[in-house]
Amino acid sequence: MPDAGTILSTIVSGMLLGGILALTALGLSIVLGVMRLVNLAHGDFLVVGAYAGLFFLRFTGVDPLLGLPVIALFVAVLSVPLYRLLLAPLTERGAEAQMMTMFAVSIILENVFVLAFSADTRSIERDYATLPLTVGPVTVPLIYVVGFVIAVSLILAVHWLISRTRFGRDLRASAADAQAAETLGVDVKRVQLATFALGAACAGVGGTLIGAAFQFSPSSGAAYLLNSLAIVVLGGLGNVLGTLVGGLMLGFLQSLGGLTLGDGYRDLVGMALFLLVLAFRPDGFLAARRS
Amino acid sequence: MKTLSGLAETGLLFGAFILLWFAPDFADDYALQIAFRVLIYLTLAESWNLLAGSVGLVSLGTSCFVGLGAYVAFGLMNNIDAPLPLVLLGCALAGGALAALVSPALFRLRGLYFTVGTLALAELLRLTMVNVSAFGGAMGIFLKMDPPALPELFHYALAVALIASLAITACARTRVSVILRAVRDDEDAAAQMGVRPYRVKLGAFVLASALVAIAGGVQATKLGAIEPYGMFGLQWSIDVLSMVIIGGVGLRLGPLVGALFVVALGEALADYPEAHVAIAGVILIVLIRFAPRGVVGFAENLSALTKKRANA
Repeated sequence: MPDAGTILSTIVSGMLLGGILALTALGLSIVLGVMRLVNLAHGDFLVVGAYAGLFFLRFTGVDPLLGLPVIALFVAVLSVPLYRLLLAPLTERGAEAQMMTMFAVSIILENVFVLAFSADTRSIERDYATLPLTVGPVTVPLIYVVGFVIAVSLILAVHWLISRTRFGRDLRASAADAQAAETLGVDVKRVQLATFALGAACAGVGGTLIGAAFQFSPSSGAAYLLNSLAIVVLGGLGNVLGTLVGGLMLGFLQSLGGLTLGDGYRDLVGMALFLLVLAFRPDGFLAARRS
Repeated sequence: MKTLSGLAETGLLFGAFILLWFAPDFADDYALQIAFRVLIYLTLAESWNLLAGSVGLVSLGTSCFVGLGAYVAFGLMNNIDAPLPLVLLGCALAGGALAALVSPALFRLRGLYFTVGTLALAELLRLTMVNVSAFGGAMGIFLKMDPPALPELFHYALAVALIASLAITACARTRVSVILRAVRDDEDAAAQMGVRPYRVKLGAFVLASALVAIAGGVQATKLGAIEPYGMFGLQWSIDVLSMVIIGGVGLRLGPLVGALFVVALGEALADYPEAHVAIAGVILIVLIRFAPRGVVGFAENLSALTKKRANA
């Protein structure tokens, strides 16, 4: 059994990574809430963001964390034609048609990544990424903390956007009842487009952060998608701050699983948790406690 | 297209079965290999079509039950030397049992979560096989006995495809079909009419999963060696989705047409695996958008149109 400091450090690292992934999960959650769409290509949007960060650094030499606004915009702009050309024409046909279309987009993207960038596992390498940060008995990589702070700030910003602005009001109205919102003068199609782009941007920024803190490959999308879904379900659908809590919880439980059973079990814990929560607390842990 | 009566359809299936049974006497090895793959795919697609077309459950977890069948089959053959028919029965029981076990989680919140849940389940099982050394870990397991010859395996695949097709015929041509469609179209209304949607969905899910697990067992026996990445790979789910969408969701001939199409596409692009999957993706997008009832639905529309023209 490793000593207490190592255990604590592993758990804190896991929770920091969970917090970073919560940003991506938030993007998945708002799209699910407003469009009733489980975006099966969301994990691949994350990988797009990771590659964008990698090439941003390579071509400009500027730190990708400073270039995050550019990367967010880039991924959001990429997602607009996907919505306009592929999803919008299917709105009348129910959720399954859109979901399967995004599944097809996902397998196409994955193969495009392999063809364009090879199947290698990569990470965005920065010298400060390996620097350790020690607080008391806990030692974690500095980049985890930086990524976590950025992710949490952005989650809070999205929370503000949704709860305090006019766009947020339209978004909440469209999520609650699209037809009624339409009658009351909300341009639901535009809200959906903006939500889809915002969701993609969340995934893209999350991808750059994950790429800097961890690693990715063309086929990483599926695993990150499933972990994001686990976070959404843990935190409760449509609950922005709940998503953050869900991310921390997933990170905590995954590290615990990794520590007690072995490293290979980290992802397995995520999947098992996801199915268990669906079975026993389908509205998420927070919602169940509040009622 | 004329609709056959249930009895005529059953007769047709048995006729095709008897004819194809003698195929190994005429066909060469390559043709048998292809036919074997079409039959396995047909079984998977029929099962998927039962779930999606009849009760509206869209699954991305085909690989989960293919893999389960493969591991159960190898477990039974390697450890207790069970004969193949008994092994396949075990596969069916395991597939049905797993479906029943996870249904409380997957049927929650309806529709979308079922799809995502099946995806997560496949990943869960794959990671279990990778991590638990008793299941062979990432290296997988070898079959200890010699696998049966191709003609014999072909007969098994043919029998499995017949069972799957008969089961679908039974579901589509009898009173059951009304109940299934009622649940698909409006679960709440169906419940008001005295149908129990949960039981109906559970029944369809268990049956479909059992059939997929048998197909997985036959496929694994032919391979002679299995590993978690292949048997639980997303490729199975992609192929099945392609087949049914290309053929036509919910249409009787959809799976067969789709299976032939996907196997032919795979053969044509065998040298370009990446392009193969990407092209399948493009075909899916185009068909979902412009021909939601697939090739079979498109043909039906076309023939209806020409008839109208001829009458005018």
